[in-house]
Amino acid sequence: MTSQSTDIVFIDSTTSRECHLFEFTSKLRTIMKVNQDLPHDSVNLTVRSVKSCTCSNHDNGDSDRNTNAPRKYSVLDEKALREDDTKLVRDQRVQTMSRSYEIILESIGEDPTRQGLLKTPKRAAEALVFFTKGYEQSIREIVSDAIFDEDCENMVVVKEIDMYSLCEHHMVPFFGKVSVGYLPNKRVLGLSKIARIVEVFSRRLQVQERLTRQIAEAIAEAIKPRGVAVIVECLHMCMIMRGAQKVNSRTTTSAMLGVFREDPKSREEFLSLGRINPF
Amino acid sequence: MAHLSESSNNDDINMNNLHIEDKKNDVRRSSVLDEGTLRENESESKHEQRLDALKNAYGIMLNSVGEDAMRQGLLKTPERAAKAMLFFTKGYEQSVRDVVSDAIFDEECDNMVVVKDIDIYSLCEHHLIPFFGKVSVGYLPNKRVIGLSKIARIVEIFSRRLQVQERLTQQIAQAIEEAVQPLGVGVIVECVHMCMVMRGAEKVNSRTTTSAMLGNFRHNAKTREEFLIIGRNSSF
Repeated sequence: MTSQSTDIVFIDSTTSRECHLFEFTSKLRTIMKVNQDLPHDSVNLTVRSVKSCTCSNHDNGDSDRNTNAPRKYSVLDEKALREDDTKLVRDQRVQTMSRSYEIILESIGEDPTRQGLLKTPKRAAEALVFFTKGYEQSIREIVSDAIFDEDCENMVVVKEIDMYSLCEHHMVPFFGKVSVGYLPNKRVLGLSKIARIVEVFSRRLQVQERLTRQIAEAIAEAIKPRGVAVIVECLHMCMIMRGAQKVNSRTTTSAMLGVFREDPKSREEFLSLGRINPF
Repeated sequence: MAHLSESSNNDDINMNNLHIEDKKNDVRRSSVLDEGTLRENESESKHEQRLDALKNAYGIMLNSVGEDAMRQGLLKTPERAAKAMLFFTKGYEQSVRDVVSDAIFDEECDNMVVVKDIDIYSLCEHHLIPFFGKVSVGYLPNKRVIGLSKIARIVEIFSRRLQVQERLTQQIAQAIEEAVQPLGVGVIVECVHMCMVMRGAEKVNSRTTTSAMLGNFRHNAKTREEFLIIGRNSSF
């Protein structure tokens, strides 16, 4: 956060994906046209500096598909996409989203001027901002003052944390429960902070696999325990309300780090203590 | 089971007349059987237009949320979300009249018929967020019964719209009443509203129950009681 250099992001015309060039100061957000050292037919030389490190963490952990490569970035310090929002920016977001929702109402054939739908665009926009409020906080802020030295060496499990998220493929909710367990290594984390970590990562456009991994990595980075285990069991409305329409199916994903990955006994203990009951 | 075209002529509305142009068009149009067909009989190109408008709207929304709409996971999201939204509102594409008109049968049954635990998924019209749950429908036939799956289809058509649970319940009850003219209809809808669970009051375990009792079910407490017992939805 004390780096002095500026980040320049440009859209590569060959792949039309954004990629980083330099590090930047986190408070700086500028939009400038850049045309040096770029071919003349480069499209969209819009430059925006919103990222805090050199790797692709602006895509919510999405582009790093090479799972064998070690993670290059810190999930604690991952830049929150809306962290620097002022009230004005937030209001602009809500306004743009309201306008989009109005178009949606018209496009499905409804009459946006009837009484029940008059204020719906605004309400839906505020709801969407709420469902994506995970973009407004960074994990480090949440956990940094709730890490305590403690001589605990036995497993700590916080189970059946209710979780509500939005599927990034259909923008339809998925929800369920999360169980988190870790084996402390002289440091414990405030219990409600575990729930807050779940909240911050789930209130985003997510994919259940990534959500699970992010929760595990955040806890691993925050207190460096001997191992972390996370199980997430969810109902996906995109699969229940549409598409395959399988009403009773649930999706379970897990992330086992450290001793939970290596030692089957620890893993078994967690799976039994943290078992998610049918809901 | 006689088809309705051979039915007795002391019926007030012969279902066979449904497809004949009616002089009383205005009266028919206000019937719940014809209500809400905002997208009926649309052409492919109109459907494409709707999809395109929705895609653009969702694309803008992704950017307003702060996300990067160009990343791999979000590239086709506007299209998927647009199709999903059209699916969630496909109740506007059909009228109940079209769906039920050929499944009304004469039957000597005069005992209660209950179809319960029908799963429903709808969109709250105030927040465009899903609410879902179960419906129980019961009716006392008056010489006419309706195909059982048509009851589920009626529920499906009314629920796949922007709805308010109270109105949904009323519409289901009125549709059954208009279609078969029974001695009475009862409908219970029990739902979980994500707009209340995921945001706002954030009350995770609460459910909303609405009901509509028409005819005998309204006037006769014993009938109502029988329906409430037989038609009790299982917990979900």
